[in-house]
Amino acid sequence: MSAYRSFVQLGLGLWTTLRQIGRGASTISYPEEALKLPPRWRGRPALTRDPDGDERCVACQLCSAVCPTRCIELQAGEREDERRYPVSFRINFSRCIYCGFCEEACPTLAIQLLDEFAFSTEHHQDFIYEKEALLIDGTGKHPHYNFYRHAGVALHDKDKGQGSNESPPVNGRSNLP
Amino acid sequence: MKRVFYLDGQTVPFTSGQNVLEAAIAAGMARQIPYFCYHPALGSLGACRQCAVKIYPHDDKHPPRVTMACLLPASDNLQLATVDKEVHTEHREIIELLMLNHPLDCPVCDEGGQCHLQDMTVQTGHAVRRYSGPKRTYHDQDLGPLVYQEMNRCITCYRCVRFYQDTAQGDDFGVFGSRDRVYFGRLEDGPLESPFSGNLVEVCPTGVFTDKVFRHDYARVWDLQQGPSVCPHCAVGCNTMPGARLGTLRRVRARHHPEINPHFLCDRGRYGFRYVTAAERPVQARLHGARSRQDVVLRQVAMRLQEGRSGFLGSPREDVQSNLALFALADCLHAPFAALSSPWMEALAQQCMALPQAPTLSDVETADHLIVMGDLGGVAPMAELAVRQALRNGAQLTVLASQPTPLAEAGDYRPTRPSALPDLITGLAEDVCLQGSRRPVILAAAETLGPAGVHALRKTLARLPANARAGVFQNSPNLFGAAYFAVDGHTARLQHALRQRQIDHLLCLAADPLGSDWGAGTWRSLVPGLQGATVLDMVDTDTVRAAEAVLPTAAFPERDGFFINYEGRIQAFAQVYRREAPVLHPQENVNSFPAAAGGQMHPLGPPTPQYWLGRLAELLDIVKPWQERLAFYQHFLCPISPHPDSPGVLLDDALRARFEIAAAPAAAPVGTEDWELDLFHWYGGETLADAAAELQSLAPARGLRVSADISAPFATLSGPCGRLRLPVIPIVGMVAGVVALDQEGFAELGLYPGEAVQIQWEVAS
Ligand code: SF4
Ligand code: SF4
Ligand code: SF4
Ligand code: SF4
Ligand code: FES
Repeated sequence: MSAYRSFVQLGLGLWTTLRQIGRGASTISYPEEALKLPPRWRGRPALTRDPDGDERCVACQLCSAVCPTRCIELQAGEREDERRYPVSFRINFSRCIYCGFCEEACPTLAIQLLDEFAFSTEHHQDFIYEKEALLIDGTGKHPHYNFYRHAGVALHDKDKGQGSNESPPVNGRSNLP
Repeated sequence: MKRVFYLDGQTVPFTSGQNVLEAAIAAGMARQIPYFCYHPALGSLGACRQCAVKIYPHDDKHPPRVTMACLLPASDNLQLATVDKEVHTEHREIIELLMLNHPLDCPVCDEGGQCHLQDMTVQTGHAVRRYSGPKRTYHDQDLGPLVYQEMNRCITCYRCVRFYQDTAQGDDFGVFGSRDRVYFGRLEDGPLESPFSGNLVEVCPTGVFTDKVFRHDYARVWDLQQGPSVCPHCAVGCNTMPGARLGTLRRVRARHHPEINPHFLCDRGRYGFRYVTAAERPVQARLHGARSRQDVVLRQVAMRLQEGRSGFLGSPREDVQSNLALFALADCLHAPFAALSSPWMEALAQQCMALPQAPTLSDVETADHLIVMGDLGGVAPMAELAVRQALRNGAQLTVLASQPTPLAEAGDYRPTRPSALPDLITGLAEDVCLQGSRRPVILAAAETLGPAGVHALRKTLARLPANARAGVFQNSPNLFGAAYFAVDGHTARLQHALRQRQIDHLLCLAADPLGSDWGAGTWRSLVPGLQGATVLDMVDTDTVRAAEAVLPTAAFPERDGFFINYEGRIQAFAQVYRREAPVLHPQENVNSFPAAAGGQMHPLGPPTPQYWLGRLAELLDIVKPWQERLAFYQHFLCPISPHPDSPGVLLDDALRARFEIAAAPAAAPVGTEDWELDLFHWYGGETLADAAAELQSLAPARGLRVSADISAPFATLSGPCGRLRLPVIPIVGMVAGVVALDQEGFAELGLYPGEAVQIQWEVAS
């Protein structure tokens, strides 16, 4: 009885195998062949630019605070018009686990996870990417967002009250009702 | 009996006079009641309407009602609830109203991470913005180099103006406008004039007022290394909390001390810390003005010491252990030692030490009769703030000064020549007003009083009722610690040895005898006998620039130590951070950590004075006796070392009692037609704070302050040690016949406050 059942199952297995003949290979020869990754794939983070081409990051340090492996380190600086930017920004990719928390925390959509996930070097210190290596030229996944257009602070090309959804500055001296 | 009320069924203890919110915060139950306008130092106002609780009356006639916790006096067995639908609605809707116009600024707002508004918004669960209309905006003002304004973020809690106008009694900041346009700022752009302006940063619960100095070198609070420290800029010894990151000091905030500074700091204490990051700060050992390797410099200094022709000079600017270590080294080498730079200062320190226990600043706040002598606010600003609190409580204030100081304008100003002070003080013993008051307090700027004045003060106190207290203030943090070594004539002996060419090398610990220390004129005249000086210091001074060898020392937040403040309170400060090569600051790298002589980067900051002195003891082969002596003196002076987090311990009375025999110093007589000197002291000025660029950009012009009837543009003063030509600054209300000069000027002339001076007025052409 049990011998008969074994034969049937053997046969079924063989049939499953035979069915695949002619369908072609489903593995690809990575890395020679590129992977087709979904757009929400979590690879290494990069710093993007806003639609005006200026760097998005305002050095708020939320990404470095939320990072579970503490691999982001940055120092804030100020430009002439008091716009905040990171003087230095470094990520240690030998510690980054591609969790995407930084992307989630970033209020300016500056830091975004790319699809690059496998890279190798000969030395550990080569995994420490400085700002020059992190800052890319495009807007990444969010082509339209520009944090400074929504914030209340003034910049060289934007005075108080010129942000989106802002009324012109009030006269703080007026006692009129 | 312990008095309690009930909040959500939990018992909350309270003391009489407390309101419900205050008691709940003290009991650690602040999470139940969100609030904005209440502040422990500013009290309740009821402006924000955020702190709602529901009160259940004891009788049946009144229904339960929602009321403001900060305006509700705590009383026995009150029944209160916050877990209630109406209370929740109020909390939720008020915060939503406050957030209607709030900008989307958190990522670029320096308050983020320490923002009361953020905390309360999260606490009340207001997460989604429903209002989509346009937001109100304001233009901002430039309020000077210390405080940054961003008015859009205001929630009109009025804390700033209550602090500035009520607590600090400043009059150049206020509230303008009406309805939803109220504006908190100055009438016109310009630096805030109050010496306490930096506290706006701490009282404002939002990011309207933030620290402008911190802003330029910003780091989020969660990244800061913080630790308990003590302000090194004057004798008050306010408790501070410096914050550092990546081996650089970024900011200083107030740390709670119940009796000295429960909440606030003066601007010198808050912004003076920049001496630590000043580009001129010596951070590498120097020999003959050129950077050199530590061991080379140490060997050179050890060689000098070995010759046996060295003198040692300590300083009230250094902490207790460093002075002790220097004293112990001098002792081992049988070399002359002095802790203070002039015999006059030595006498002054002795007299200060002999005074009976001084009042704490919280005692000053509860005084009902105050007599202030000299420019108290210029020397010790927080003492002025305490006097102002007493004034608010209805105290009577008399100011005996030669200049119309800000405090003089707030009280009864009696224009007084400094030389007349000792006699006036003696006369106070018969003052009926003083005799009759409950808590009379006399406060003075030590230097204006001089040794004779402080001596007279002690005699007067002995004749006044026991409730009368007195405190004298000076602008170095450790005068009492240094005064301990100020045994009769040490400084004179050291100067004599130099004059007689018995010694030709001076080892100075944070002393500036060739620059602006008291008595510097005398030292400068002794320079020809000096083969070389070695300086251990943390700021760039004239002596550092002239020295043969410079051994840079760690700044106070970079090490542990003790200061003894004006009350004789021994307070410990802890190392907050380690100065390191700041990898992320390219410009710092160039300035502070240049390649050493050997071509290497120095990874660590300068070591402590004890380290340097220990190394010298090693090279001289006297480590063991040095250590033994050091341990002995330390045990003798402060047998119990207080913990940095503790309120400190008071110096033993027996130690102070031995100074009571110090003789009454004779003051040089001043004729009525002589020009007499008084000290002018700006609130931000002090040797360390002088290296803080942002603060110093506010410093008043240097000059000779005289009464307004003098019209000469320039004057030349001559004293025993030199001449000085200064522009004349006429001051309305100043006593005729008195000229006020800064400490550097005194150092140049070799004169002291209350002494006569020769003046040549230049006639306007
Ligand atoms: S969270 Fe975004 S804006 Fe903030 S520091 Fe990181 S990358 Fe920059
Ligand atoms: S004040 Fe507070 S809530 Fe407002 S922007 Fe600044 S950090 Fe955010
Ligand atoms: S500026 Fe700050 S302290 Fe002043 S009312 Fe506005 S939120 Fe309150
Ligand atoms: S009063 Fe003196 S000790 Fe206090 S903060 Fe000001 S300078 Fe520092
Ligand atoms: S804290 Fe009570 S009304 Fe503002």
